Amino acid sequence: MYTVTRRKFLQYTGGSIATGLLSQIISFDEIANAGLINPLPANTPILVVVTLYGGNDGINTVIPYTDSTYYSARPEVSYKQESMLPLDAELALNPAMGGIKSLWDQNKVAIIRGVGYPNPDYSHFSSMAKWQTGSPERNINTGWIGRWLDTQADNPMLAISLGSVLPPFLAGAKKSGSALPLGGLVVPAGNLAYQCNQLSKPQRGESKLMAAAATSMRSLCNLSETIQPILRKPAPTDPDLPTINGGNAGGDNNLAQQLDIVAKLIASDSPTKIWSASLGGFDTHADEANAQATLLGVLSTSISRFMNQLKNTTRANDVTIMVYSEFGRRVAANGSQGTDHGTSAPVFLIGNSIKGGYYGDQPSLKNLIKGDLAVTTDFRDIYASIIEGILKTPAEKSLGKWSGRINFLKSSTSSLG
Amino acid sequence: MAQNANNRLELARLHHRFGFGPKPGEFEKDLLAPITLAKSRILTNPQSDLALSSLADPVLADLGNRPKADSPEIVKFGQDLRAQNLQLTLWWLDRMVLADNCLAEKMTWFWHGHWATSIKKVNYPLSMYRQNQTLRINALGNFRKMTKEMVNDGALQVWLDGPSNTFNAPNENLARELMELFTIGVNNYTEEDVKAASRALTGYQVVRSTGQVFINQRRRDLNPVTILGTTNTFSGDSLTDLLVDRVECQNFIAERIWFRFISSTLPMPKNFAAKAAFASREISPTIQAAADSSHLSNPSYELVKSPVEWFVSVCRALELIPSQLQPATRTLNYLEKLGQVPFDPPTVGGWPAGAAWLTSATSLHRLEFANWLIGKSRLATLRDTPAEQKITKSLNWLGINKWSDRTKVALTEAINHPPQFTLSAICSPEYVVNA
Repeated sequence: MYTVTRRKFLQYTGGSIATGLLSQIISFDEIANAGLINPLPANTPILVVVTLYGGNDGINTVIPYTDSTYYSARPEVSYKQESMLPLDAELALNPAMGGIKSLWDQNKVAIIRGVGYPNPDYSHFSSMAKWQTGSPERNINTGWIGRWLDTQADNPMLAISLGSVLPPFLAGAKKSGSALPLGGLVVPAGNLAYQCNQLSKPQRGESKLMAAAATSMRSLCNLSETIQPILRKPAPTDPDLPTINGGNAGGDNNLAQQLDIVAKLIASDSPTKIWSASLGGFDTHADEANAQATLLGVLSTSISRFMNQLKNTTRANDVTIMVYSEFGRRVAANGSQGTDHGTSAPVFLIGNSIKGGYYGDQPSLKNLIKGDLAVTTDFRDIYASIIEGILKTPAEKSLGKWSGRINFLKSSTSSLG
Repeated sequence: MAQNANNRLELARLHHRFGFGPKPGEFEKDLLAPITLAKSRILTNPQSDLALSSLADPVLADLGNRPKADSPEIVKFGQDLRAQNLQLTLWWLDRMVLADNCLAEKMTWFWHGHWATSIKKVNYPLSMYRQNQTLRINALGNFRKMTKEMVNDGALQVWLDGPSNTFNAPNENLARELMELFTIGVNNYTEEDVKAASRALTGYQVVRSTGQVFINQRRRDLNPVTILGTTNTFSGDSLTDLLVDRVECQNFIAERIWFRFISSTLPMPKNFAAKAAFASREISPTIQAAADSSHLSNPSYELVKSPVEWFVSVCRALELIPSQLQPATRTLNYLEKLGQVPFDPPTVGGWPAGAAWLTSATSLHRLEFANWLIGKSRLATLRDTPAEQKITKSLNWLGINKWSDRTKVALTEAINHPPQFTLSAICSPEYVVNA
């Protein structure tokens, strides 16, 4: 429930996915140095993927607040209409999503409705694997961004995940994204550094896992004091929010912390086109309303804080955030004031380069498919549009011959004022 | 050397995979006898373990209902919960470290990861303790009996919303995970089966503070349902029988054992002897078969020590007792940084395996943790070894097959500095990975 973080779970699904076995682990100073030596060219689009683990209830995120079925199907899991944040005459955002509502009002939020894939799978593990591999029909062991990485020049900074475990969508066949552990890294010094260095030396004929153990120590040895200024530096300031107001501090939740670091590293010109962050705990089988509102509040404030931090950098117009979860939840509540695993849900795309508004049809609460919401948009439409519009690469290598596209980006994603 | 290289590898794996690593002197002694002796000792669960006889079971009072949030009692209640949690966790770690024969604790640990239940939601250590005892009693027993008892386990019921699953308002959480993660595995049932099974599991109620389970007949759904093609009015027991009897259950549990005891990276081969042995649903012969297979001497089947496994094996080698390490909360802080605290798995799927434990963040925390532990130990075994024998003897001390050239260099340079020598040894890839 509140405490179930799904961030790491794909690691032990045992074979269905590569789990980024030999992913590189990088350090802050490597990124900072890369930012100095090989800065990301100005106006390069950047994608920030936020994964919500546990199955976020889409119906209580973008709420069909004038549909009486919403209230009758889930009397104890619905919110009071007066607390919701209406987007138009039919849909409203969850009461906790004030930050994202404000971005919507600035036309910076695309809400893609009814997103899923054919033959919905109700297992967290399988469904997240389908989303992250980008291959709902066939089990494969590379991720949709990982396959894009395979087409790019070798650069461990190109895709970075916050936290110590790499999400599968960043695992390619030959290359993979890097994992950046959060906080608390103290650089080994003196004898310890020397020993660490010695133990991390590559060894001929070594097995995979032994080599991975050695590599993990080697990246520690590479840490140096040069990174400390960047880490100690406060995150880029947020001009729209009073800095003293505790309500905006937000910082003790992990997503805000992850996005703070992303903002700092974007500001220091890290040559990174894809960032991955995550928030867990959305598996709200019981007592959902409060739990989900708390989580969506964290999501919303973290994102609006991040967007505000970017305003003080030169890259505010380059960054697009995508927010998704492995599935939505049932229309009807389950009687524990919660909801069970469902099918489609909205995906959010947020940024200055986004054409705000709705995309995809809103699934009906009444005309259900096998008791669940219809899938009106395939997630591959979004992926293909991102690969072409943001990563500026043909989508075929990652997604095969997939024809669906969604036109949620302004025509030129990076040269807008 | 009396034993060939394969025997050394096999012996090292027996100690680290089916136990928590050797105590000082154990490995060396085992090398002098035929490996079959060590094997049968390691894989036989003794009636009683002398080393554990002096370790008292935790006494956990029933803390009752949670007081109101703004009441004066809430502070003490919170303190009591935390103190009990610490006591319970250290007690279990002590058992793992002190046991002469670790198989029972290792299997209890395996099943805890299988029926992964977190105190973060269950809240009450007493309820978690009862589940732990159920797992221990059945750890090497019959899987059918274990499953029936787990369906009736208060902590698992609370963790998966069982008490909210009623005739009027079914909740699928427990039914789904019972099939997907505990008995037959994903893709071996339909959504209709999940819905039907959740109706069969209605009516369970739990006294949260104790984990005591009872059935409320008025909440039960007694209508016949069809699960996996069988129509019946199921109870928890008859549903368990149906699932455990499935051939998919045999394959699924064998795979879980393969994944945790033999290889976390390569798939289970068809001829894995444990699978055939599990036809009886008896766990002890299944584990014997898993260890008895030729796979144990195949170098390509690797595993990584999870943080708890690494910590426990270090304590055994360094002759440290977890509950005596001060400050006691520090041990749990380190384990939390490494990503694994007993009774607190991240999800119902348990902990990750393999390379997930090999990030630069975990290697740093492991170094810090190792340094702290080394400072608590006399390092008697190492200090008593003459310098010229330290490198070869340390292999036997820690139960390692062989040192790589790279690690030998690090050890040679620290030969006159036991703490540094130990640090290199227990943080080396050879020790962190159960090669």
